[in-house]
Amino acid sequence: MNRRLEQALNCRSSDRFPFLPAIYEHKAWFVGETPSRVCRDVGLFTTAVLAEYERVQPDALTIGLDVYNVEAEAVGCRVTYYGGDDTSIPAVAPEGAVFQGSEDVASLKMPDPKKDGRMPLNLEVARNVTRVLGREVPIRGAVSGPFSMAAHLVGPEHLFMLTVTHPALVKDLIAFSSEVIKRYGRAFIELGCGVVIFDSQASPELLSPQMYRDFVLAPTQSIINHFQQCGLLHVPLIIGGNTTKILDSYLETGGNNILCDARAEVQQFVERCSKARRAFRRNMDSADFLQRTPEELHQRALRTLEESRDYAGFILGTGVVPYGTPLANLVAIREALQEHKHSE
Amino acid sequence: MNELHELAQLLEQGQRQRVAALTQELLGKGVGPQTILNEGLIAGMAVVGEKMRGGEMYLPEVLQAASAMHASLGILKPHLLRAGAKPLGRILMGTVKGDMHDIGKNLVGIMLQGAGFEIVDLGLNVPPQKFIEAINAHSPSIVGMSAMLTTTMLNMKTTIDAIAAAGLRSNVKVIVGGAPVSQKFADEIGADGYARDAVLAVDKVKQLLDTAAWSMPTERLTD
Repeated sequence: MNRRLEQALNCRSSDRFPFLPAIYEHKAWFVGETPSRVCRDVGLFTTAVLAEYERVQPDALTIGLDVYNVEAEAVGCRVTYYGGDDTSIPAVAPEGAVFQGSEDVASLKMPDPKKDGRMPLNLEVARNVTRVLGREVPIRGAVSGPFSMAAHLVGPEHLFMLTVTHPALVKDLIAFSSEVIKRYGRAFIELGCGVVIFDSQASPELLSPQMYRDFVLAPTQSIINHFQQCGLLHVPLIIGGNTTKILDSYLETGGNNILCDARAEVQQFVERCSKARRAFRRNMDSADFLQRTPEELHQRALRTLEESRDYAGFILGTGVVPYGTPLANLVAIREALQEHKHSE
Repeated sequence: MNELHELAQLLEQGQRQRVAALTQELLGKGVGPQTILNEGLIAGMAVVGEKMRGGEMYLPEVLQAASAMHASLGILKPHLLRAGAKPLGRILMGTVKGDMHDIGKNLVGIMLQGAGFEIVDLGLNVPPQKFIEAINAHSPSIVGMSAMLTTTMLNMKTTIDAIAAAGLRSNVKVIVGGAPVSQKFADEIGADGYARDAVLAVDKVKQLLDTAAWSMPTERLTD
């Protein structure tokens, strides 16, 4: 059992800081396939996750390739997939939204994780990977956060407008989304996996801190509390962008392993997370992972690790790793982690 | 004029119906459409832009303001055309191929429109060929490209290269933006400009047009 991540989540030191690169569509690259094919094929998806583990050796695996699409698609949103060799990432276009805004939220179909959309496929991948790797590495199912899922159901821009014009409707959509997320996450937990919640549409780069409190905080607390009641000790919550402005709310959600994205103020995270005894993942900016050399990324990783001030709840991560990033670039970052340990 | 100031304030508050009504009222009183545009809408959107940059306004409020602006522009447009008013320049915009994110691009479009530019919006997931066809069809001064993903940002270079291969690169300036994009990346892919946010995009476009050596096509306004 990999105890490194568990130690960090409990803010206790171990042999080195954990490494959690954000590998989603890039999983497909490990098997020489496109994201659109891998995310719809249990065999390819399973092989891709196992290849990711073997080559990158992260300290946890995430079952999710086109995160955010799965729940929305199960409710009825239309995901755009790409044919041939097109490596574009499947996504729900605004016109693929299932909810137009004038109908009753109660008319939306509550999906069954065992039957609807690609939920069963993702669960099957989690089952397969768990069967192979056992307890060697934590395996977490990717689930949407409530605001991001609502944004997919109605279209992101439409949802942002509705927060002002029809706040009660937004709350209904978020409540519906929360129930979907609880059911889907619970299905992962029943397989012995963890879950990771992704809610970057609720980033303060888009939504005000007050709106986060008004619309998102309580439903997120409810979801995390539900997963904890189902047996999870730690529930990671990932919100991209500079979340420093909502750090108090972020901690109030109850999430552990929150995200300090590349633009967020890391010293604020160190200070406030250490007081709250929470772990956080500091992201390296992945925007130029395709262009940088392994040596450059190694140096960048070392600089990022220096920001940790040796806080035991520090986890090194990355922004979303672009499809096609050379393996040597990720290995160089992992090696920096090992080197940092030796330099202490 | 107090009513123009009121129009700017109502726009800032996102009061769509009241902005539309006041626009009609001002036209009825004989206020020129260009004056309403400049001193009401553009002035109001300038405040919105500043508040957004300062963290006083967020996306929901900005979208409300934009909705109010569009309501007024819809009323003003025929009057502006009759008066021979010309936009500051025509900007072609799109989110590059493979990318379904358009909030950032739309925000830039709102701010540019609010500053008096004409926008031709190609939408999202736009392949290079569509950019080329639109350049030929609309003769823009500037092409704006957006990408939200580390993977799709590379399609900006593909698109710039395709525009060059089509012999159109010298006809347009290219400006890029999006969460993973930086000035360094913009330089590397041969873009003419980069803007970190929607307000800076307006400044960058104005700067690029000041230095542009061609005459701006300004014969019409679009929605």
